[in-house]
Amino acid sequence: MRSVEHVFVIACIIIPGFELRAALLTRPGLMLRPAALAPAPGTEPLLGPVTAAAEAKGVRPGMRMGEALATCPSLVLVEQDPSAADQAWEEILRRLEDNGFAVGSEEPGCVHFETGGIERLYGGLQPALRRALAAVGSAWDPRAGAAERRFAALAAASVARPGQVLIVSDEGTDAFLAPLPLATLPLGAGVQAELRELGVRRLGELARLPAGSVAERLGPEGTQAWGLAHGGRRGRVRGRRPPPEIVEVLEFPEAVGNELTLRRALAALVERVLGRPDRAGRFVRKVAVSARLVGGGSWRRTLTLREPAAEPDRLRIALGPKLAELPAPVVELRLELVELADEVGRQLELVRPAGAERNSRLTQGLRQVRASTGTGSVCSVVEVAPWSRIPEARALFVPRDE
Amino acid sequence: MTSDVLGQAAGTRRSIGRINEPRPALVEASFEGTPLRVNRQGVALVREEWRVVDRWWTEEPVDRRYFDVVLEGGQQTVVYRDEEGRGWFTQRGA
Repeated sequence: MRSVEHVFVIACIIIPGFELRAALLTRPGLMLRPAALAPAPGTEPLLGPVTAAAEAKGVRPGMRMGEALATCPSLVLVEQDPSAADQAWEEILRRLEDNGFAVGSEEPGCVHFETGGIERLYGGLQPALRRALAAVGSAWDPRAGAAERRFAALAAASVARPGQVLIVSDEGTDAFLAPLPLATLPLGAGVQAELRELGVRRLGELARLPAGSVAERLGPEGTQAWGLAHGGRRGRVRGRRPPPEIVEVLEFPEAVGNELTLRRALAALVERVLGRPDRAGRFVRKVAVSARLVGGGSWRRTLTLREPAAEPDRLRIALGPKLAELPAPVVELRLELVELADEVGRQLELVRPAGAERNSRLTQGLRQVRASTGTGSVCSVVEVAPWSRIPEARALFVPRDE
Repeated sequence: MTSDVLGQAAGTRRSIGRINEPRPALVEASFEGTPLRVNRQGVALVREEWRVVDRWWTEEPVDRRYFDVVLEGGQQTVVYRDEEGRGWFTQRGA
């Protein structure tokens, strides 16, 4: 592989088994023993990520719990700790942002960013990615990949060794992806099985099939997989808007399971968090309630309000029912304002809004949609060739993030 | 790396996309090439048929035979056969 000189190189950093590593932050010794992330309560009993020691004993991620314990009786099941994982991931993202990387993150353990703006700062692509890996921290065993396409960057990071940077040139993308297994692709088990029956086991074998035949046999899922086997579409990565970090925590002297007590505690937290001076009167768009559970582990729920609000009653009513989902008594309750709106008050309307007022409301509405559905979900339609006889050539969707 | 993460990254729509992009369709056609079934639904009526030939001077020529059809369920849809051999597709905005 050789380095790529291009403006829009996309880099990807992944931390395999991030949720397990985060859950083991307080028990690092378990990383060296056979351990696996237990399934969330009420879900199918399938294992999450596993440690290298567990893998050496034949335990695989996604294995049924019973089968895993029969394979390795000394396997330690680690309870999920979504709160610790979110917190650790947020710290990693902030460290990357402090080093100048405008990151866009889909889920904990995987982050993308463009290198165009920072390559000159660090003296090239390779040094910039080394800097990014150092910012993440070697304790997490991060791996970096870079390519001109998002999927190729992700695939490069997923095959890199811990601490390694793997750069794939655009012309080398097909050759790089070809030997990778089919499991690299986001395909349903049925489609994977069908392809295996047809003798297709690697991305290169899928890429060599005619697009029309793949579409006819496997439908839209197959078409998407075929496109990814060729490296996927080119795209841009937009940096996220860092969250405001307004958090209030309430610790209980002893574990509380009574819903009425929890609701009272939540009401106190709502009052405290809304009274924070750093909120500066802004309305709340997205809020998260999390709890540390009595036997270890944690619980977290995020809620996007139908419209931004700053009334304590509205937050209480919206968050109250979530407490009924708590799986165990809690020793700590935490309320976090994940996203704030720009508005600080609401004027009831006497006349229909128009002009700048209407535009401002539309912008606020779009931000609200974006808060609940994620970056890149709001697009504008841009006409490029309205006269074209080819329907798909007439207009484009362009992501509208501001 | 789990394929979940790979899937999510691949599936996230953050890039520029086209409107009215053709979608692969399962079409059974008659000997003359007229659609008889579209995505497992019988065709009740072919309302219109036309041809689009364009970009023949490029490396990606367009040669499509369009059919505006009404399905047995009452749904109206437009399908085309890609004469460049890429199969059948449904498309809006045609």
